[in-house]
Amino acid sequence: MLRRELGLLLLALAFPVCGQDKLISGPGSTLTETKCKICHELQHIRRTPLSRGEWADNLKNMKERGTPMTDAEQAAILEYLSVYYNRDKPAPAPSADTLATASDDPIEKLLGANGCTACHALDKKVVGPAFREVAAKYAGDAGAGLRLAAKIKAGGQGNWGNVPMPPNPALSEKDLQALAGWVLQQK
Amino acid sequence: MKNPSDSRRQFLGVTAGASALAALGVGKSYAQTEPPGTISAEMVKQDKAKVMQWHSERPLTGSVPAHEHDFDVTPSDRMFVRNNLLTPVIDINEHKLTIKGLVDKELSFSVFDLAKNFRTVTMQGMLECAGSGRSAYKPNASGTPWLETGGMGCPTWGGVRLSELLKAAGVKPGAVHVAGQGGDPGMVPTAAPVIRSIPMKKAMDDSTLVAWAMNGQPLPWVHGYPLRLVVPGWVGSASTKWLHTLTVLDAPFKGTYMDSSYRVPPRPIEPGTKMPPDAVSAEAWPIKSIITSPAPNAHVKGPVTVRGRAWVGEGSVERVEISSDEGKTWQRAQLSPAQSLHPLAWRTFTYEHKPQNPGYVTFLARAWDSAGNAQPAVPAWNPLGYFWNGWHRVGVLVEA
Repeated sequence: MLRRELGLLLLALAFPVCGQDKLISGPGSTLTETKCKICHELQHIRRTPLSRGEWADNLKNMKERGTPMTDAEQAAILEYLSVYYNRDKPAPAPSADTLATASDDPIEKLLGANGCTACHALDKKVVGPAFREVAAKYAGDAGAGLRLAAKIKAGGQGNWGNVPMPPNPALSEKDLQALAGWVLQQK
Repeated sequence: MKNPSDSRRQFLGVTAGASALAALGVGKSYAQTEPPGTISAEMVKQDKAKVMQWHSERPLTGSVPAHEHDFDVTPSDRMFVRNNLLTPVIDINEHKLTIKGLVDKELSFSVFDLAKNFRTVTMQGMLECAGSGRSAYKPNASGTPWLETGGMGCPTWGGVRLSELLKAAGVKPGAVHVAGQGGDPGMVPTAAPVIRSIPMKKAMDDSTLVAWAMNGQPLPWVHGYPLRLVVPGWVGSASTKWLHTLTVLDAPFKGTYMDSSYRVPPRPIEPGTKMPPDAVSAEAWPIKSIITSPAPNAHVKGPVTVRGRAWVGEGSVERVEISSDEGKTWQRAQLSPAQSLHPLAWRTFTYEHKPQNPGYVTFLARAWDSAGNAQPAVPAWNPLGYFWNGWHRVGVLVEA
């Protein structure tokens, strides 16, 4: 028991960035966090508010460098950064990320809040495999739910290429199983 | 010149790559967030001096402050760390450098071929990140928050001249730039490769090297093992690490690391505004100096020796002056002689200050180059925060 808790604590310590590296909450903050954190810490954003024009240049640069984001996502991130990290005007008070919580669907909330959608989409490979590809792989496998839940928790790489998926040690068993169950239904 | 087959190669041979590195438990906490075939941040840090300050973890960037730079030749464990992407694990036995593009014949060399077939050169040369000093700019400029004095170093480099490789391949008429491509991977498969190009004139300069050694040892992993470009005096990004391809081009390379990064306005612009469309590529560093001793706020007695280092990316350092009265008067410092074999190495200056009274005194350093340029008190702001070369100031307390 104690050993297990120690293990979880060590895991949590090993990935401090996942839990604490945050931006001011506001419309688009979750999307911005998940996309930018693929390659760098968020301190680069927090320490340097920029003008809207500079942010536009910056996002163009990041897209060129390889950030996987659609034009619509890029526009939403530009809007968020220009409001909350603007060198010419103070940031408004934190508010709900209405873009992330637009849906009442608990699965969509989990996917957004845990950064899943930074790398996975329903029907096409982004960084990681499409949810439908994952479902197809496990098709007909009776133990798939439990194994996929464990996989989501532990992260890792090798099955879908060399880019590793970060672990999600903070997810509850209930949420893990809900996510795994949902993924396996995507056909 | 030391043969590049060394402990690093043997180490790799024994451990057979990244999975074995992970098995050693080295950088285990990062093993799952960084792709296989890369060197973890923890492992890079283990090879570095305790006095290194880490400015960001992802990407890993670090440097020592000015008073920890008090060496004529920068020790490898104090050389600054800055990658655009991740540090790859490369097997020197497999590694090839290909020269292609506007050449008479495409050539491909192993590191050993280079050492065997071309004259080897050992040269001290300055490398400095374009954004070195960025945190001194107000308002803040976007990017790695380098210290006012951080992000540079001047070790010795061992390798061969790029000009000799280009001559061997035969440069065709119309060649304008040479692009270097490195083997560093990104966190995502969509990451753009790091490719930078330099003008043919700089490529053919005697001081531009394809290097496999730093301070007489094979390049450390994070500094480009097994092979890198060394374009001393220019922004660090010109010195492509993990170099595997050189392409001779009829125009500057077009890509994000040329067209959206490493650009500066051609004239001063209003601070806090965006890059003008006629921005130019960041190339040679302007004249710059730092005070490396005494340390800031040191307590000293009697005469104070102010020592530092001065460098410039084009031409040469002409003189260095010290002020101990906030710039009202300037005294000329002693400057170590220029070294013709190391034209782009930093030079050491010293100035003996004899305090009249006990108390706090502030020294300012200002260097001049051979073209008559002096360091400004505060350089013109630019959106990406490049080329900080303002006067360095260090204050000390003279005790009775």
